[in-house]
Amino acid sequence: MSTEAPTSMETETVASKTKLESNTLPPKPKFEPLKAHEMSDGRIQFRKVSVPPHRYSPLKKYWMDIYTPIYEQMKVDIRMNLKARKVELKTRSDTPDVSNLQKCADFVQAFMLGFDVPDAIALLRLDELYVESFEIKDVKTLRGEHLSRAIGRLSGKGGKTKFAIENATKTRIVIADTKIHILGSFANIKIARDSLCNLILGSPAGKVYSKLRQVTARLAERF
Amino acid sequence: MIPSAMASSTETALESLHHIKSTEPPEWLVPKQELSQAVRAASKLLFSSLKPYCPKSPFDQLLTEGFDVEQIWQQIDLQSQPLLSSLRREVKKFEKHPEEISKLKDGGVGGGEKKKKVLEQIETDNVVNDDEDDDDMDMDEDDDDEEEEDEEGEEEEKERGTEEESENEGEEKGGIEDKFLKIKELQEYLEEDEAREFGLKKKKTKAESKKEEEDTEEEGDDDDEEDENEGSEDDDDEAEEEEDELGLFDGNDEEDEDDLENARYEDFFSRKKNKSSKEKAKSRDMLEEDSGSDDEQDVDKRKDGPSKHEKELDKLRSKIEEMEKANLDPKVWTMRGEVTAAQRQKNSALEVDLDFEHNVRPAPVITEEVTASLEDLIKTRISEGLFDDVQKARTSSSKAPREIKELDESKSKKALAEVYEEEFVQKTDPASALLTFSDELKKEASMLFKKLCLKLDALSHFHFTPKPVVEDMSIQTNVPALAMEEIAPMAVSDAAMLAPEEVFSGKGDIKEEAELTKAERKRRRANKKRKFKAEAAKRMGKKA
Repeated sequence: MSTEAPTSMETETVASKTKLESNTLPPKPKFEPLKAHEMSDGRIQFRKVSVPPHRYSPLKKYWMDIYTPIYEQMKVDIRMNLKARKVELKTRSDTPDVSNLQKCADFVQAFMLGFDVPDAIALLRLDELYVESFEIKDVKTLRGEHLSRAIGRLSGKGGKTKFAIENATKTRIVIADTKIHILGSFANIKIARDSLCNLILGSPAGKVYSKLRQVTARLAERF
Repeated sequence: MIPSAMASSTETALESLHHIKSTEPPEWLVPKQELSQAVRAASKLLFSSLKPYCPKSPFDQLLTEGFDVEQIWQQIDLQSQPLLSSLRREVKKFEKHPEEISKLKDGGVGGGEKKKKVLEQIETDNVVNDDEDDDDMDMDEDDDDEEEEDEEGEEEEKERGTEEESENEGEEKGGIEDKFLKIKELQEYLEEDEAREFGLKKKKTKAESKKEEEDTEEEGDDDDEEDENEGSEDDDDEAEEEEDELGLFDGNDEEDEDDLENARYEDFFSRKKNKSSKEKAKSRDMLEEDSGSDDEQDVDKRKDGPSKHEKELDKLRSKIEEMEKANLDPKVWTMRGEVTAAQRQKNSALEVDLDFEHNVRPAPVITEEVTASLEDLIKTRISEGLFDDVQKARTSSSKAPREIKELDESKSKKALAEVYEEEFVQKTDPASALLTFSDELKKEASMLFKKLCLKLDALSHFHFTPKPVVEDMSIQTNVPALAMEEIAPMAVSDAAMLAPEEVFSGKGDIKEEAELTKAERKRRRANKKRKFKAEAAKRMGKKA
């Protein structure tokens, strides 16, 4: 069309033209978004998180800290099955989102892995946080003293290396014997993982620090 | 002047002269008329005879009648003074060249009337006056010559010098030599000149020019001698030309041959020829013009003498020959193009002024001025403080220096959620952002500084300023008051604490030296000895 500013009348006429053409089809229905409850066809969804023995007493200790946010804010039912030694989660009718249940399950799982409740709560609040776990033997086969030394290298004196990595990369790390769990955003997890792998492979802490500094500076620059 | 009258007067004057000479000295003491008359006549004669040699004198003859002695004497003086100086010169010249005297004598042999007279007078007269007169006469002649020479110019003189080296008149020649030139020096100079420039061409030209000058400047030369001189000069010129034309030695040889063939009476017995022959004998080695050739020959050759044009042509020819010769010869090494050291003589490059580009600036010559200037510069710089220090070029950072994140090695007090929360808040609302780690450090630092400043102010200020009240939490421990109040003594002496028995370290009864009995002393000594012996034995045993 040559004219740049078509009048409302013109557009309407055009639209009406199209409508006239497809006259047979009925008007589109307007639906409201589905509730979590309805999405699964009214069925209730469950999640069960097993509790390792060493986390039994901390669970007992922090039960209320765990229960409150889940029940109040996430609107997910939670209960502890003592016999089976599992934490069970169940959606309610007024659960706003389907993903809430999953988030709660992840949150509980993170606690079971060894993370603190405040750290684990970040999972509830932020979407893009993940937990990654790997073992030392995945990186390098170490036996006996080497393994012990590697673990020592990872944590550092009084845990300072671990804390340094945590603070620099805004993640939380749990070193459970030969298993390592990292909680954080995807990129940060990557950085933390690289540093930890380097430590496992044998690089000294200072080197890892320097690399960390560079990377975090670069990361900070971006924003 | 009438010659006969002159002759008679001269005779009488001579007689009077003789008469004067013959008189005894004592006779002079008394004034006598005849003697005075004689003297006057004689002096008149002498004056007139000397007259020709001093044209400047105002008197033609000595005026004696009615004149005072003083006046007569002054007239004589007028005449004789210039003659005296020239005479002295002559004497000096004869001192240097004694052979001239002999020439003089020879010259006197064939001399004219005047000369004869002169010579006679030289031989006979002994009186100072006479001598003077003789010398004067000699000098007169010489003076005449000299004056003539002056008239004609230096070249003329030279010419005469060269030509009359033939010694036509010894006196004249002596006169020439006396005044300006030594004939021998002149000869040498001429030789050099000729050899240097054109070979012998220059001689010719000189002779020609002299000739011309002579011809032009002949004025009032009535003397026979002059004429003869001129004639001889001409002869000499011709001789020179001849020689130049035919080559040095050839010319000489030819002349000699000619002379031998055409030897005549005149050659041997006329003044000129004698001298010329002698000259030849002397100067044959020296390539000098000789006037020894015959007049006839000279006359003939004069007509065939090379003209100017011919001379020029000869010059050109010689030049051409030179150049052709140079072209045929191998070139000088400087003209040969690329020449290595082997192709030229040793050190020959040093003599040639080589021109090449110096790419390097020549090293500066350090003189005192240069050092002084440098020192002045240094002093001014120091006084101004203007040193050329290398200033570090600061790389101007476009952005503010990034705050270096210190790696916190302690467990983070904030939960992960809070960390992300803060981050989010910073992104969305930077104003409400909480203090970062560095800010806290800054806060702490500022607090410390404030405390320090407070203390310093308190020390420095004269008036009292109380401490600012900083409400701080103070810890109150729940301890019994008694425990807080009890204060232990600062200093406690050992003496009071310990009992004497505790202090004492020893055994049994202790006796003083004074209290010991003799037996006890002996016992003590014996014990000591025993101990010592035992130890000594032990040591010996060990050693063994």
